[in-house]
Amino acid sequence: MKIGTKIVLSLALLSSFSFAGEQFAMSDADRAMYSEMLENNPADMMVANGEELLAKYGGGEAGLAAFFNVSEEKLPAYIAGFPRYLPEFKQVVALDQALQGLMSKNGHKPFKLKSSDMYDMSAYAKSLANGQKINIDVNANKQMKAARAMGEEVYMTKRGGRGLACNSCHSPDVVGSILRTQPLPAIDGKGNAVAANWPAYRMTKSNMTTLAVRFQGCMNNALLAVIPLGSKEMVALEVYLTNEAKGSEISIPGLKR
Amino acid sequence: MQRRDFFKKVGAVVAVSAVIPAMSFAADAKKTVSKNAMSYATALNAITGGKTPTASDKVKLKVPEIAENGAVVPVTVNVDSPMTDADYVKAIHILTSKNFNARTIDIHLTPANGEAMFSTRIKLGGTQDVVAVIELSNGEFLIASQSVKVTIGGCG
Amino acid sequence: MSKSLIKIKPKKYKDGEVVKVNFMVMHPMDTGMGKDKKTKEIIPAKYINSVKFEYNGKVITTMNVWESLSVNPVFTTSMKINGAGKLSVTFTDSTGEVNEASIKIKPKG
Repeated sequence: MKIGTKIVLSLALLSSFSFAGEQFAMSDADRAMYSEMLENNPADMMVANGEELLAKYGGGEAGLAAFFNVSEEKLPAYIAGFPRYLPEFKQVVALDQALQGLMSKNGHKPFKLKSSDMYDMSAYAKSLANGQKINIDVNANKQMKAARAMGEEVYMTKRGGRGLACNSCHSPDVVGSILRTQPLPAIDGKGNAVAANWPAYRMTKSNMTTLAVRFQGCMNNALLAVIPLGSKEMVALEVYLTNEAKGSEISIPGLKR
Repeated sequence: MQRRDFFKKVGAVVAVSAVIPAMSFAADAKKTVSKNAMSYATALNAITGGKTPTASDKVKLKVPEIAENGAVVPVTVNVDSPMTDADYVKAIHILTSKNFNARTIDIHLTPANGEAMFSTRIKLGGTQDVVAVIELSNGEFLIASQSVKVTIGGCG
Repeated sequence: MSKSLIKIKPKKYKDGEVVKVNFMVMHPMDTGMGKDKKTKEIIPAKYINSVKFEYNGKVITTMNVWESLSVNPVFTTSMKINGAGKLSVTFTDSTGEVNEASIKIKPKG
């Protein structure tokens, strides 16, 4: 008898969940309204702050181009190829790490990767590549090849108390199913192309964040041990997803829920 | 069975057992009350001075049916008006039916605006109505309202 | 000092055209009801309470604002272009802080 009740209850729950999905999923009109908000993105103010910071600590666009040893004209396309293997760093680095290098070369104490100044400055630096297509080259050298492979492993490996991988919620088979009113997004070039629109303004947090920090938030919520910022694994994950979004047009700053 | 019905049944059982602890909590809970607290009825009355606003399709209030995040809910108001010295929208008032302070923003316009429109983002403390009250230059008031469901969704 | 930004849309406009004015401010818009997550202390209210738009010295739009606008609020209104000059925005908050921002108005043709 008891078992019987349990079955009925779980069936009831099951059906209620599918109903809940239909009832609470946002309409296309609602989504359109949210995407219109991109036109007035509060992050524009933070990008403007990033511009001032880069001028002050890195010699602006010219300083950045000189640091990368490219002409100012070629700077946007160069930025669109991050993360890159940089010999001076002896490792594959994301754009924010490269900016740390620039700051320290200019005699300044680098901003922490997890600081609003760094979010603002890296958003400005990446926005220089707006309109460019992501052109990461994972076959450029053995370091990039290794980073992509490691990134794929990080993406696919099931971890944590719930045995979830990034892929568990973002693989093509589950993308679009509703989880707590939100459709699970594709994060590659066929979907949101996250590598092309982060750093972004997070409306739930009312601030700007980088992609790596967003990854950390996701890991935290999915009960996975959080991978440290700037670690080989974190950069590798960014390499992997950037490559999955290769060809997508860069548009910074993004605006996210 | 619909989710709501299901919760109603479960809720009924829970409610009974919860009465006693709820009362004892109430005794020592210090409730924060804002000096700005104002009910919707009081706010509406303060704006119209007791006049009853007319529902009008000249007022287009655009809010999402479902807000994906109560902290940032887009609101746009457009009013069909010539915006001339003789006939213009004097003010757009945006109210909420259940926020602790129903008043959100008053926008006082002039014919120099050219069009009667306003757009912003507001915080909603929960599912409720968003209301636009329009004051015309001839002293008339128009009104439009729409309900917004606020959900806590997604993963973080 | 609150950082703010004024944008006119479209970027190129003519005299007599009605354009959109987007004004945004970096501001916490604290309601006075929220608690600091770490200290558990109530964060005192601090929200923008008035905004005034002046076009070449003439007040065209004023706003009374309360705490339920979103953090880093955005205000979008219309404006009829009526000669070159300056659009300035003055905004005050509930703690008495006053800020001003402005943008040049340059109609083409």
